[in-house]
Amino acid sequence: MDRRTFLHHVFLWTAGLTVTIPRFRVSTAFAGQSSTSRLAVGKDIDYGLLVEKTLAALNGMNAFIRPGDKVVIKPNIGWDRSPEQAANTHPLVVKALVEHALEAGAAKVQVFDRTCNEQRRCYKNSGIEDTLKGLKNKKVSLEHIDQRKFVPVDLERGKSLSRMEIYRDVLEADSYINVPVAKHHGLSRLTLGLKNSMGVIGGNRGKLHFNLGQKLADLATVVRPTLTVIDATRMLLRNGPQGGSLNDVQISNTVIASADPVAADAYATTLFGLKPEEIASTKAAYDLGLGEMTIDNLQIIEV
Amino acid sequence: MANRKHIIPLSRWRQLSQAVCLLLFLFLFSKTDYTGSDQLEYAVNIIFRFDPLIATAVMLAAKSVVLLLLPALILVALSLLLGRFFCGWACPLGTLIDLVHPLLKSHNPALDTRFPRLRYGILAFLLSAAFFGLPLVGYLDPFSLLVRGLTLAVEPAINHAATSFFTFTYQKAPALVNLVTEPLYDFLQATILPFSQKHYHLVYLSMAILATVFLLELNQRRFFCRNLCPLGALLGLLARFGLMNGAGGNDACGRCTTCRNICRMGAIDEQRHIDMAACTLCLECLDKCPRSTIIFNWKKPLTLQTGYSGSRRFFLGSLTAGALLPLFTNVRGLAKVTNQRLIRPPGALGEKEFLSLCVRCGECMKVCIGNTLQPVFLEAGIEGMFSPKVDSRLGYCEFNCTLCGQVCPTGAIRELQLTEKHTFKIGQAFFDKNRCLPYARGIPCMVCEEHCPTADKAIKFNETMATNDRGQQVQVKQPFVVAELCIGCGICEHKCPLPGAAAIRITNAGETRSPDKALPVASAGYG
Ligand code: SF4
Ligand code: SF4
Repeated sequence: MDRRTFLHHVFLWTAGLTVTIPRFRVSTAFAGQSSTSRLAVGKDIDYGLLVEKTLAALNGMNAFIRPGDKVVIKPNIGWDRSPEQAANTHPLVVKALVEHALEAGAAKVQVFDRTCNEQRRCYKNSGIEDTLKGLKNKKVSLEHIDQRKFVPVDLERGKSLSRMEIYRDVLEADSYINVPVAKHHGLSRLTLGLKNSMGVIGGNRGKLHFNLGQKLADLATVVRPTLTVIDATRMLLRNGPQGGSLNDVQISNTVIASADPVAADAYATTLFGLKPEEIASTKAAYDLGLGEMTIDNLQIIEV
Repeated sequence: MANRKHIIPLSRWRQLSQAVCLLLFLFLFSKTDYTGSDQLEYAVNIIFRFDPLIATAVMLAAKSVVLLLLPALILVALSLLLGRFFCGWACPLGTLIDLVHPLLKSHNPALDTRFPRLRYGILAFLLSAAFFGLPLVGYLDPFSLLVRGLTLAVEPAINHAATSFFTFTYQKAPALVNLVTEPLYDFLQATILPFSQKHYHLVYLSMAILATVFLLELNQRRFFCRNLCPLGALLGLLARFGLMNGAGGNDACGRCTTCRNICRMGAIDEQRHIDMAACTLCLECLDKCPRSTIIFNWKKPLTLQTGYSGSRRFFLGSLTAGALLPLFTNVRGLAKVTNQRLIRPPGALGEKEFLSLCVRCGECMKVCIGNTLQPVFLEAGIEGMFSPKVDSRLGYCEFNCTLCGQVCPTGAIRELQLTEKHTFKIGQAFFDKNRCLPYARGIPCMVCEEHCPTADKAIKFNETMATNDRGQQVQVKQPFVVAELCIGCGICEHKCPLPGAAAIRITNAGETRSPDKALPVASAGYG
């Protein structure tokens, strides 16, 4: 029992109540999947323009956000590293997505990550805090994780995990946009979209490393992005996931976007010269029917 | 100060000054934290640099002039001029004691200071012990005591209470209540609450020591300042030989003892003479004297100073004790073999120098964003209590952080530049292969490798076959540490997902600050 649950219990006991664990029900029934997954790949040195044209290839942000929606944009802000070091999502990519979400009529855009290094240092040195502050828009919030917001969720279709604590705002969002940065990872080889969603779960994440690929797929049964945008503007090729040396970074000026989280990861894998099935989470998610991983079955639009 | 009634009583000005100083202190305390820039703007450490007790003890212990502590001369000069005003007008601990006094009033206030010689004995003992190699001044220095108590116990407890309360309202109270409580919580977080919940060893001990200072009020007013405070004793000595003089009552006072009865320091004797070694110039007597007899001025009185003149024997005894006790420190087992888990903060000086300079103020533990700096109990000997150590299971040292070196008031932890910090070895990680999952049970893990922050990772891995729990051969990545790259930041030990002790642990082997702990190198004959 962690401190928070303990407290919770103490309060309940002192209030003379019995302990009930609140559960959050998430529908895991999938909407009919289209036979081909569409995927856009953009290349440009102007990251604002890059995001814009890549989204345009998927009919623009309006295809993913309706006016009045509560939107969560989840970049990787896990490390106390600068944008050049390629450990976090590039601030300009995040900024462009936030702007498009606002244009599409989002009522609220929340940006956050459960960081690995000290939270304030990550938000600050990733450049994301200052960039978003610069927007001066009240609808945009970059909040630090509030421990009280993790709620237990049953993973009905999970194979390796049956329950997880998930951040409430993600579950309640109308649109969840996952924005990982594409990079190397010692254990799982790469960290892409499915791995990025680990930033919305509570508890001891280190315990997930056993059978990580399956667990990430299990998580993906309930945390289902409306859109995945993989930031491969800079790719960390070695010493991931946090890097630190610019020698390990390759500038690629690329982003990949798709409504299909598995397809996005699968395609990004090829940028590293690997095959989609070499990434355990991609394979496991494909097996669970969460998306397409065969590159030939994808409808790829290059812009 | 003139001999007349003032429209605003002089003691009001003193209270104002006390309030301003206390608020300033608390402001600096709360700002002793990372706030978005690598370089700190404010820190409480400034008050330690004005503390002549710390300056004297530290320089005696280090046997050198510590430039950082020279501002203490300002307080020395001011005290020669104005007496022990600091205790009455500025000291945050004194102010807090005055504030709690109404709650802890004793029923039969003793007019005479209970142990009038004790504080001099303590002062003599601390200074002589410091000189002979047993640095203990931080235990009783009022600022150290206060900052440490607030850091290690009071602030975390307040934050915990607030978090618990607002977690309860958030999860259980109706939405209507949350309309009020949530903005309130936001406000408190933005203002007085610390950014994150910290956890410390020795919470109860720190709390008990601080609480005792206040509880002693039950015995007599300003008990700590009158009987124990070594800084007060030192400032009192300066005051005695300084210029400020208080002319108390005279024969014409008759049976009136108003001044004597209200003096919080017991500085006024039966003849109503004022002992400047005790008087903190609170000026209550001056305000309340019905005949307006009391005057403070810069004239030296013709009569000899009243008040306590230290008994030579007690004083010498304390000095001798301070000189003899350190003899025993060198014959402890500790003098030969140090505790391998005594890992000092990045930038800490060599152990002996470090302990001479460290004043146990707790500033580094307050500022440490990794919550890894923890007070030592007895691992470093009796003189090491409350000095900082790195507890890598509880927290870890942030790769890009240099805050502890910035707040250390004496330079016991020197300020490292970031590039130097990146290679400054505070210790060394070792795997416990009997527990490490990929080794012991063939289970993939490598959380340590993932978090290792050095640009060329100090944890690397081999992909090999291992035996799992069922006796099967499985392919797994097994991590290992490269000694030359590891800096001992401890994030690996902190994040290791095993319950209880981690399967990778830091020791102080190879630490940069102690050449004698250098790790064996293969090329140097260890092959
Ligand atoms: S120990 Fe490390 S994290 Fe803590 S204050 Fe010092 S440099 Fe920062
Ligand atoms: S202590 Fe651990 S995480 Fe830190 S540098 Fe050494 S191996 Fe890496």
